[in-house]
Amino acid sequence: MIEVKNVTKKYGKFVALDNISFKIEEGEIIGLLGPNGAGKSTTMNILTGYIDQTSGEVYVSGYDIQKKAKKAKKEIGYMPEGVPLYTDLTVKEFVTYMAELKKVNRKERKEKIQKIIKEIGLLDVQNKLIRNLSRGYKQRVSMAGALIGDPKILILDEPTVGLDPKQIAEVRDLIRKLGKKHTVILSSHILSEVSQICNKVIIINKGKIVAIDTPENLEKKVEGSNSIQVTVEDKEDKINKVKSKIKGLKEIKFVKENEDKTKEYIFEAEKDVDLRKKIFEQLSKQGITIFEMKKIDTTLEDAFMKLIKGGKK
Amino acid sequence: MWAIMKKELKSYFLSPIGYVVMGIFLLCFSLFFYLTVFQSGSVDLGILYYHVIVYGLIIIVPLLTMRMFAEERKNGTEQLLLTSPVSIFKIVMGKLLAALAVILITLIVSLGYFVIVSFFAQPNIKIVLGSIFGFVLASIAALSVGMCASSLTENQIIAGIITVAFLIMELFISGINDIFSKISIIDAYVNFAQGLISLKSIIQLLGFSAMFISITIIILQRRKLVK
Repeated sequence: MIEVKNVTKKYGKFVALDNISFKIEEGEIIGLLGPNGAGKSTTMNILTGYIDQTSGEVYVSGYDIQKKAKKAKKEIGYMPEGVPLYTDLTVKEFVTYMAELKKVNRKERKEKIQKIIKEIGLLDVQNKLIRNLSRGYKQRVSMAGALIGDPKILILDEPTVGLDPKQIAEVRDLIRKLGKKHTVILSSHILSEVSQICNKVIIINKGKIVAIDTPENLEKKVEGSNSIQVTVEDKEDKINKVKSKIKGLKEIKFVKENEDKTKEYIFEAEKDVDLRKKIFEQLSKQGITIFEMKKIDTTLEDAFMKLIKGGKK
Repeated sequence: MWAIMKKELKSYFLSPIGYVVMGIFLLCFSLFFYLTVFQSGSVDLGILYYHVIVYGLIIIVPLLTMRMFAEERKNGTEQLLLTSPVSIFKIVMGKLLAALAVILITLIVSLGYFVIVSFFAQPNIKIVLGSIFGFVLASIAALSVGMCASSLTENQIIAGIITVAFLIMELFISGINDIFSKISIIDAYVNFAQGLISLKSIIQLLGFSAMFISITIIILQRRKLVK
């Protein structure tokens, strides 16, 4: 569907994208993830043909985005960052204009415009000037503009930025729904968002691809530590006696002492063993009271931080 | 191309710009109608159009062109335009034609002066039609310059000022040297004011326009690479 081959983008001496390559298959929902300034928008701008890469090739549905620009662009619906819109038009006028630009068949045009306005939930405001709409609605108008013309690929640059939590949930649902019919590429610097919606994540940092994988795999990949956090009351300091008695336990790390004289430790275990039961048994044998015990899960957040730090080395 | 032209034309009249341009334009016509035709009792409407070309275009053209690309760039809407399956040439032509359409509408209204004069005398229709034809060509040339300026910057004011400066320079440029008269819009227009349709002038004006349209396209294309 989309193939990016050794793409480099330079602004003067600054390298915004450094020899990146990836493939996106039909029907995938891809999350482009990275800190601000990592090259997410640059990647999207190149995919949509808005800017040209310095070197390398980009194919959209088999068409070279530079040489067969018209055909390639027809495959794509793009919602740029910051939702730029013609604010002096009404919603319907805007969608109509986008339909005309995308050369939607004249006969079907009216019908398709109405269908999309309905689908996106703009029916109530279709005759309002875009300038008078709230941010959430503007986002939807931009989405409608991207969707018109039935593009196979949807590219959404930071689709949930600037929305309130309810609107964010709505937009996410919408993207999930759209993902059934389209290949979706969205960028975000919010990790939870990506892990919720996407079935594949591309992590970019400083113009380089750090990882491409499913959110689950990424979490697993960096799950170096299998740790359990325990808060105990241990008046006689007997906790270190436990260490030799639990098989599979690598280390007990002291974290801090709380105000109520309880102490917090992290028990690091070997991979794939759950020590919670044994820890409970051993600690109570030593007369140590457990106040709290929980398994520490690695989140995509950790994965992200770890990968990005790794990229720096 | 037509979609862009239609939308741009609509935008001119959604904002006050379209009306302001037509108002100033017609004010120019009335002023010079009084000064050249009415006061001197002449029936030569060619002089009227000549004066509007010389003094009117300097104000009107920047008003029409300064926002063309500068505004799109500033608002980011150029992303929508440049990622749609429309070639840059068509985008440029669509915008140019929309601006030209505003001028054309005014020119049609300006035929009213011909009607007024023909109540009292017999003005030469050939001169009027020749003038209007030349006016259109000269407008395309001036609009191309303005459009080119608009593609250079995201600041509308700067685009406008560059255009005004260039058009003022155009007025006097033929005085410097004969070579410069070849790129003088006014010099090329003079024939039309006498009702003569000269192929040389047509080529001169269209060539001038083509040059600036090409420069605009090159600027837009080039920006894709450095942006």
